[in-house]
Amino acid sequence: MRDFLIRHQTPALLVAGLVIAAALGVLTGNETAQVTLTEMFIRLVVVIGLWVFIGNSGIISFGHIGFMGIGAYAAAWATAEPSFKQIMLSGLPVFLQENQYPFVFAILGATLLPALVALLLGAALMRLAGTAASIATFAVLMIVNSVYANWDSVTAGSSSIIGIPTVVGPWVAVGFAAGAVITAYLFQISRLGLMLRASRDDEVAARASAVEVKRMRLVAFVLSAAIAGAGGGLYAQFLGILTVDPFYLGLTFITLAMLVVGGMSSLSGAVAGVFAVTIIVELLRLAERGVPFGSVTVGLPLGSQEIGLGVLMALILIFRPNGLSNGRELVWPRRAPTDEAAARKAPSAALAGEAAPSP
Amino acid sequence: MIAFLQNLIDAVSLGSIYALTALGIGLLFGILRLINFAHGDYITIGAYALIVPSADVTARLMIGELPLVVMTPLICLIVVVVALLSDVLVFRPLRRASSPTLMIASFAVSYIIQNGVMMFYGARPKAVDLWSGANTQILIGDLRVPMLQLIILVVTLVLMAALTLFLRKTPYGIQMRAAAEDFRMATYLGVRGNLVIGLAFAISGILAAAVSLLYTTQSGSLSHTMGLPLALFAFVAVVVGGMGSLVGAVVGGFAIGIIVTMLQAYLPPELRAFRDAFAFAFVILVLLVRPAGLVPSRTTFERV
Amino acid sequence: MGALLTVDDVHVRYGDLVALREVSLSVAQGEVVCIIGPNGAGKSTLLAAVAGGVTPWRGAIRFGDVDVVGIRPEVVARQGLSLVPEGRHIFGTLTVDENLRIGGFIHKGRADAKADYERLLELFPRLRERLNFPAGRLSGGEQQMLAVARAVMTRPRLLLVDEPSLGLAPRIVDQIYEILLDLRRREGLTLVINEQSSNRILKHADRIYVLRGGRIQLEGRAADLADGEAIRSAYFGFGSPATLEGVAP
Repeated sequence: MRDFLIRHQTPALLVAGLVIAAALGVLTGNETAQVTLTEMFIRLVVVIGLWVFIGNSGIISFGHIGFMGIGAYAAAWATAEPSFKQIMLSGLPVFLQENQYPFVFAILGATLLPALVALLLGAALMRLAGTAASIATFAVLMIVNSVYANWDSVTAGSSSIIGIPTVVGPWVAVGFAAGAVITAYLFQISRLGLMLRASRDDEVAARASAVEVKRMRLVAFVLSAAIAGAGGGLYAQFLGILTVDPFYLGLTFITLAMLVVGGMSSLSGAVAGVFAVTIIVELLRLAERGVPFGSVTVGLPLGSQEIGLGVLMALILIFRPNGLSNGRELVWPRRAPTDEAAARKAPSAALAGEAAPSP
Repeated sequence: MIAFLQNLIDAVSLGSIYALTALGIGLLFGILRLINFAHGDYITIGAYALIVPSADVTARLMIGELPLVVMTPLICLIVVVVALLSDVLVFRPLRRASSPTLMIASFAVSYIIQNGVMMFYGARPKAVDLWSGANTQILIGDLRVPMLQLIILVVTLVLMAALTLFLRKTPYGIQMRAAAEDFRMATYLGVRGNLVIGLAFAISGILAAAVSLLYTTQSGSLSHTMGLPLALFAFVAVVVGGMGSLVGAVVGGFAIGIIVTMLQAYLPPELRAFRDAFAFAFVILVLLVRPAGLVPSRTTFERV
Repeated sequence: MGALLTVDDVHVRYGDLVALREVSLSVAQGEVVCIIGPNGAGKSTLLAAVAGGVTPWRGAIRFGDVDVVGIRPEVVARQGLSLVPEGRHIFGTLTVDENLRIGGFIHKGRADAKADYERLLELFPRLRERLNFPAGRLSGGEQQMLAVARAVMTRPRLLLVDEPSLGLAPRIVDQIYEILLDLRRREGLTLVINEQSSNRILKHADRIYVLRGGRIQLEGRAADLADGEAIRSAYFGFGSPATLEGVAP
């Protein structure tokens, strides 16, 4: 057991950190803190999903918030009040209209439907070269946005879906966040993940077997869409009310900023980025609200939060291009490999760990 | 037949706007391998520069009230300055960065500009009446052609011709083409990298300013996200046309304009709301058939 | 005679990989110096470092009176140093004429550039016939000629040529060497040429450096090395224990 933990210390440490953060938040008993924390864990799920594709393939995706939206609506279809669905969502299949399914089914739907869409779209998109593929993922976001905003009979696009049971709190969210971290880790150390990362690091190798690379990218794309979709499902069941607007460029920017700030080449970086950006955004939001000085409140003008985040992201890109994590994985300090190169190339280090004979 | 021609004129005019936008984006991509998301926001800035800066809901024209010969260069200047500033502050420190990093950086620049505009001008869209005279219609046979659409087309053609002449005939144009093909080699021959890149930003700023004026005249309104759909369609146009080819960017721009207009005209009414979804899906289809775009570039070595 | 180019204790690293270590060499005004070494020895890296394309991790490079370490390539080029890189790197979509003129844009005095242009076309009559062709449609030999002519248009004092014979027929290579040496005679051009093999170069070079594994293994006057034995052993590393250098971190 001990050996197992040492070998897989990165996900173990990350999960432990998440659980501690959740426990601390719940212990404060502060409603606002818990809401913020829950939202952060949900975003973490989405960012991990994003990382599974971007971190392993090296291709930036702007489409994953679309998959998150697909997941959110899938969950809403499964769990919203039947009375509401029969009136407002008359275009849904009857089995969805007339029943209210449990949370588990909702999340299952929120995972599978985006994965299916990603499979269909990805089969086309992954044929494109890196930059072109990135732009094409924008098309995904646009298509999802356009369809969901206008397909009134199944999305209530112009208004909103209400009556979704709010079953997601900090503990549920952290559970899924931990699950996402472990899934992403398993993918990272799998043969496929390793090969995909090799293709990212070494373009020559990538060119040698272009067909293979496309297939690997597609697998990563589908898996990452599924995770982002699960995040969307959680989001729906956290808010209880759903509109199309949040699933667009704003959230795309924030989740990408999280990846950049943390460092998109390591899983620990993705997690660190979510924490760091959440803290910074909350601080800026406080500053926008203002600090009272006697009778006047001194605060930053509205919009400072967004501008601050944009500036932070640009600064990180310029001065610390590998993010806060510097591309490394979180390891227990004493067990940290001393060789700098080994630390940077986390997957090969993990592989070496597995190949080592256990005492 | 008349209806089709009428639609075709709309398509060409919309396509002109996309083509101009795509040209600005394609030019920078050619030299820097930068997909500049902020290009749409350059357009937004050019439009907002027309009015008095305030968060009021009603917009009062300021620069927009000046005579055309003063207004146009002034708007161009403002947009060029913003474009150059974004280069100096963000993109220049990232000269050695990879293409995805540049793309994300430009996303950040775009986010900053958008929220900056919102901070100073407010979030609500504003109505402006830039040049109402341009909306009169001309009768050609049975065709009613809004004069503005003709102006858009003429301006687009003039700008394209000017850019072509610049790139073909002037020393700086030749240096830009050389840098676009092989940046490192150009610098080995003494071509000043930052100068050429700055020039590309300036030209892309001028193109954006032209789109600001044309588009604002046509739409009659301002919003802090107005450049976004233009830039998004233009990105797709650049990809559809073939990345790294300026001809491709123009072809892609017109193609997208035609697709969008024709979908709007000929989709059944109940599906018209999904126009953009169809347009983008069509784009994905085109890319499936021609992954390198309609006018594949011979020079750009695109990474896998 | 003072050295035109001095490379002193230069190290170049790509991440963990050391491409050059402790490289020192000097080139005097008017000399023809040849650097030979196997593929991957670091020859191209050395020339790129001199031309400003790669920044050394340690060491000094002086060209004339200027320390060129950390200076951008375009500034180095304006000092009078020109590189014809391996693989020629001509601008394929530009015409032959445009390729040539690029090299001349460095100079403010247009009249000079025009004179250079005419003079080079006399040296390279093949290029004159193809002035308005896209350069990408030239043959390999013509492209190499264009690359050399384009570099000379910048009016260099020092011309670095990276593997001019790569992928070309021997007859063409002879022509290119003839032209290079002709340029040296006429214009007092100093030449540094990289080659993989010493066959041709022994005739033409004044001095030779052998580079292997990122290190200078041998240096000497071409006349003293004419039998080729010393070069061969330095090139292949016979009798030298340090064969794996450049790979170790």
